[in-house]
Amino acid sequence: MMHNTSQSQSAKEAYFTASQHQLIWARFKKQRTAMIAAIVLIVMIVSGLMAPFLSPYDPTIAGRDKDYTNGAPQMPKFCDTAGCAARPFIHAVERERSIKTNFRWVTKTNEDKRLYLQFFVEGSTYKLFGVLPLDIHLFGVEGGKIHLFGTDEDGQDIFSRTLHAIWTSMKVGSIGVFIAFVLALAIGGVAGYYGGVIDGVLQMITDAVRTVPAIPLFMAVAAFMPPEMTAEARFFYISLILGLIGWPTLARRVRTHLLTERNQEYILAAQLSGATSSHVIRRHLLPSFTSYIIVDLVISFPYMVLSETALSFIGLGLKDPVSSLGVLLQKATSADVMLNYQWYFIPVIFFVVLVMAFVFVGDGLRDAADPYSETAS
Amino acid sequence: MLEFGRFVATRAIMALFTLVLVSLIVFSLMEMVPADCAERYLAFKNTQGSGISVEDIDAERQRLGLDKPFFTRWGVWIVNAFQGEFGDSCILRVSIAQLLGVKFWLSIGLCLSALFLAYAIAIPVGIISAATNNRLLDNSLKFVSYLGLALPNFLLALMIMLFSTVWFGETLTGLFSKEYRDAPWDFAKFVDLLKHAWLPIFILGWSATAFALQTVRALMSDEIGKLYVTAASARGIYGRKLLWRYPARHALGPIVNSLGFDLNRIFSELPIVALILTLTDAGALLIDALARSNDQQLAGAIIFLLTASIVSLNFFTDVLLAVLDPRIRKSILK
Repeated sequence: MMHNTSQSQSAKEAYFTASQHQLIWARFKKQRTAMIAAIVLIVMIVSGLMAPFLSPYDPTIAGRDKDYTNGAPQMPKFCDTAGCAARPFIHAVERERSIKTNFRWVTKTNEDKRLYLQFFVEGSTYKLFGVLPLDIHLFGVEGGKIHLFGTDEDGQDIFSRTLHAIWTSMKVGSIGVFIAFVLALAIGGVAGYYGGVIDGVLQMITDAVRTVPAIPLFMAVAAFMPPEMTAEARFFYISLILGLIGWPTLARRVRTHLLTERNQEYILAAQLSGATSSHVIRRHLLPSFTSYIIVDLVISFPYMVLSETALSFIGLGLKDPVSSLGVLLQKATSADVMLNYQWYFIPVIFFVVLVMAFVFVGDGLRDAADPYSETAS
Repeated sequence: MLEFGRFVATRAIMALFTLVLVSLIVFSLMEMVPADCAERYLAFKNTQGSGISVEDIDAERQRLGLDKPFFTRWGVWIVNAFQGEFGDSCILRVSIAQLLGVKFWLSIGLCLSALFLAYAIAIPVGIISAATNNRLLDNSLKFVSYLGLALPNFLLALMIMLFSTVWFGETLTGLFSKEYRDAPWDFAKFVDLLKHAWLPIFILGWSATAFALQTVRALMSDEIGKLYVTAASARGIYGRKLLWRYPARHALGPIVNSLGFDLNRIFSELPIVALILTLTDAGALLIDALARSNDQQLAGAIIFLLTASIVSLNFFTDVLLAVLDPRIRKSILK
């Protein structure tokens, strides 16, 4: 009994002396779904970051398999009609054109020829993290090619493209969120801190921008891109547009928070002690809502990713050779693909999971960052 | 009553001001498009074989009034826009009002139906899920609302198309059957429209339903624990009557206010869903105007019209809320 109380005493002490971050982390850990989502998210981010290493082939036209276009997914297996093996394998694919096939190229699997799965194989060269030149890929097969998710009409490996697409989305989302964040902080910050007429005018503008439907507006702005733009320039342009249109929601929240916060006593105290506006904003106001801002950023991330996907999907966003979900889905609307090549849709699963993970982590963070969530329950 | 009139007038002026601001944004965007209407039109003529000189372009510019300063042109544009007149399309050389006409009303109809569907589902289900102790129901609703974000309408449309093609061999596209496409409006055509419209309405309403469900549930859970609800149930009111007459009345107020933003979200998804389902309404026309031909006149008109309908809905819900909610009515009439 005594032991118990002393233990709870020390637990209480740890609770009262814990820093803000420790408290948030402790509350976050308690939420099972958010923790699972966080793990999924980290796995996805790491696999996106390591995409060139994890994917067996180059995601662009350079890595295409011209003998296996529109090819079905190949799942490695241990057994076939000839017996089992300790090492997983796939059957070789051969192309044939003869009188039997009516002189058309026909792809068929050769059930007698096994291609064994190899690890750490040498392949196309790439730069890991953009700097480290390497040519080792996690897996591959000897004397052929393996396509876990099949190939598209050019013979590009869908598995490799999916991994690269995750990374592209993360990059576009991060740049977009960053630009939106800076704008929101500046505009919402000025509106909330000064209030009055400035606030009124800025609110009018923010509301007007918010009323325009976002995706039609994205489309209008994206259409101004000159078609001869390089893939890289296009990428930054799209991120810039996402940021320039995405700021109003964030700005509104920053403003509301500042409006309530600036009337608090500690701000008055700082002002009476002769602190300048910039000092009050930087040292008192900003720290008071960092956690809210972080949560908002995580929550607005999936919207950026989805907007980019929508734009690329209709052909106004990113284009080949960049891999992104929208780019991958562009060709998927034709009846031919829907009837015969359903594996074009495999990347969709990854994106639903990615967005879901972001939403759950964002929700978990919001609950964890709210100091009143514990007393309420 | 006079105060109420003043309130409506203030709101109307604010709505007008927002529209003017939006029109400035849209008009500036139209100006940013490389090459103006005159150059585009004459470039088109050039491909038809007639030679074009710089003088021709200047003459055409003068004819279209493109040589006037920015603010004059904006003024002309906005005055015409409020009369429903948007000039001629740059590429198609047809009056935009004529080009959009029925298509625009069809799109608005689709979107409003989707909005209606969303709340017809979300309000009862949201209220039940807030009132129930059933964890399974609660969690599955939560999952559906998250899915509404993670599987946005256009991906859902793609998935439905995929499954319908694979299983039924039918693509479920378009708004009209072949024989009615160019037929004049009559009852049979309307029935045909209804037969096709349910799918786009469902798809457009999907994300909105998921979001609305989340909002209704959250607002309801906040209200349901309050003392006036306990007091009412202590007086012996129970069940549906209790829920509808007490917490629901309070919880639904803020929802009326957010209708405009829900419509905004639905409009956002409209063009892409329209493209996938090959609906030939304003949404698909927007993609055509932007992606294929860079037709700034048409694109500007569509964006302006979409925004105008959101602004009018916002105005309408503001007034409606003042009529419905005695607290707001009081604060106006004081």
